[in-house]
Amino acid sequence: MEGFIATGLIGISLGSQYTLLALGFTLIFGILGVVNFAHGGFYVMGGYVAYYCTAMLGLSYPVALLIAVGSTAMLGWLFETLILERVIEDHQATLMVTMGFYLVMATAILMIFGAESPEFSFPIAGVWRAGGVYFPYANMVVLGVCLAAIVLVYWLVYRTNLGRAMRAMAEDRAVASALGMRTKVLFPFAFALATGLAGLTGALVTPILALAPHVGDPVLAFSFLTVILGGLGSVTGATVAAFIVGLVEAYAAVYLGGSKGALTLFVLVLIILVIRPQGLLGKEVRRA
Amino acid sequence: MTTAAATISGYLKQKAPFFGSHEWITLGLVLLAFAIPALTTNPQALSQANLILIAATAALGVYIMLRLDLMSFAVPSFMAIGGYTVAVLSLRLGVTDVVVLGLAAFLVPALCAVPLGWLILRLKGVYFVLVTFVLTEIVQLLLFEAAPLTGGSNGLVGMPAVRFFGFELWDNSHVLLTTTGLAFAGFLVTAIFTRRFRYEFAAIEKNDVLAESLGLACWKYKAMAFAVAAGVSGLAGFALVNMLMTAHPTSFAPMSSVNYITYTIVGGKGSILGTLVGAILLVSATDYFALRGELSPGLFGLLIIVVTLLARGGVIGTVTTLIGSLRARGSRWVGNGPARKAPKGDIR
Repeated sequence: MEGFIATGLIGISLGSQYTLLALGFTLIFGILGVVNFAHGGFYVMGGYVAYYCTAMLGLSYPVALLIAVGSTAMLGWLFETLILERVIEDHQATLMVTMGFYLVMATAILMIFGAESPEFSFPIAGVWRAGGVYFPYANMVVLGVCLAAIVLVYWLVYRTNLGRAMRAMAEDRAVASALGMRTKVLFPFAFALATGLAGLTGALVTPILALAPHVGDPVLAFSFLTVILGGLGSVTGATVAAFIVGLVEAYAAVYLGGSKGALTLFVLVLIILVIRPQGLLGKEVRRA
Repeated sequence: MTTAAATISGYLKQKAPFFGSHEWITLGLVLLAFAIPALTTNPQALSQANLILIAATAALGVYIMLRLDLMSFAVPSFMAIGGYTVAVLSLRLGVTDVVVLGLAAFLVPALCAVPLGWLILRLKGVYFVLVTFVLTEIVQLLLFEAAPLTGGSNGLVGMPAVRFFGFELWDNSHVLLTTTGLAFAGFLVTAIFTRRFRYEFAAIEKNDVLAESLGLACWKYKAMAFAVAAGVSGLAGFALVNMLMTAHPTSFAPMSSVNYITYTIVGGKGSILGTLVGAILLVSATDYFALRGELSPGLFGLLIIVVTLLARGGVIGTVTTLIGSLRARGSRWVGNGPARKAPKGDIR
């Protein structure tokens, strides 16, 4: 029983990480209509920036987190305004550009930091235990920060005028711009917000899991899975799906072992697609 | 199909020749590769030609699905099915005849694509992109998990040389001949298939809801295209496995689908020639970039971004537009003639 609870806690903390990634991914898709293939790149970049700040510059970890978020958001903003904006109406071109940018990012990281994974561990060690249930403090901190970030995103999207404008943009771009929502401001902002979230996740999670130039690939696959499961463009769907994915992955890894966890997930997603092609909470498929 | 639609499509089919100039040029270029072993024995050149042909054949899977406005990331999965089919047949059952193996490499992935297509093809746009991407991840995992059949992480090693009517094709130039044969088969099938149904595909590409309401059974054409694309990818998988003499999961990595899509789009997705030209240019570019070592994927990415921003119709689309506008300028008064033709390559 203790093992079951401990696995559940791990699943929830995985779920909160996936939520941050999937929220960013789904925001970009919902608002800009773009599938961001570079999402994993921003995750890796967040991890490396945090590593550089703590290990090389000797800054404290919370400061490093903030710098990681700021720099990934800034790069996302620049990428959106300088490159993506030019092809925003052509969905195949946006795919190509984000794929190309991912390759450039991964190579840049490889050139700067080398192929070996650096020594980057979470500043807080130790394990919390209650009876037979163990839960590392590091995971607890990650869970806390992720939940705070999720609440912040929800507040931003559903309680502020900026969020209302972004949702209006997602609903109907033409009408929203006719009513005075400015795409030139909102698109880069939404993109920067999403890449900042990816950077935050990277900075938080890579010290626990692993930091290497190529760790972005599986991140991309899991973001895809989560948004397919939850319904593209749906914020709540992404959140629910991310926790399902986290829990299934944790339990499958413990009770089935090896890569069976990932296979279970893929099969689950296929079954859901047969029953509900638009995902758990998705609406009518958007023609992007 | 309704009578009206049948009449219209029948009428249009009478007017245009079956193959356009792009198809003839493409098939001719692929045929020319048969001559390469006679011209050079340089292993570098032979392997380069091999890689280009395999890449081009694989990218045809993307090209076919783009005719229907579907961007498919599933090419590596069907390449894997084709490649592993061949490896299992030759290692476990001792089949070495290249024709039999080629048929198997086409038919097995095509048959696998039918039930998968039933599942996937009702998805549109971005959902199709995401699900085909996930599909390649699934196939990758299955290759590792199904170790008794696929050899797991060791792969299937030590395939015997294939035979063509009893003649053993074993050295470098023979491998290139096999690859060329498979690539030609792939290009021929694709050219015939996409030209035979070009009006139906064009209607679905423009607006599948409208096409459906005019009486076109969209699911039928989508299912056929998915199966043929899978079969052609399977041929590429055969050629790859034959060249490496091993079937290994890493040959069919999910991220390699990005390359195949890039070949098609950078070359020009509007014509089959674009796929071939894209593969020739980009595989050569990769080879050239490889001199820069670790920098190579980054340069490749930069190239993708630049071409996407500057040449929207891809290489072939841009060249066609240029030729068109030069001709228009030559034959009409500048400034007084009718508005210049819209760029051909830019579909949207």
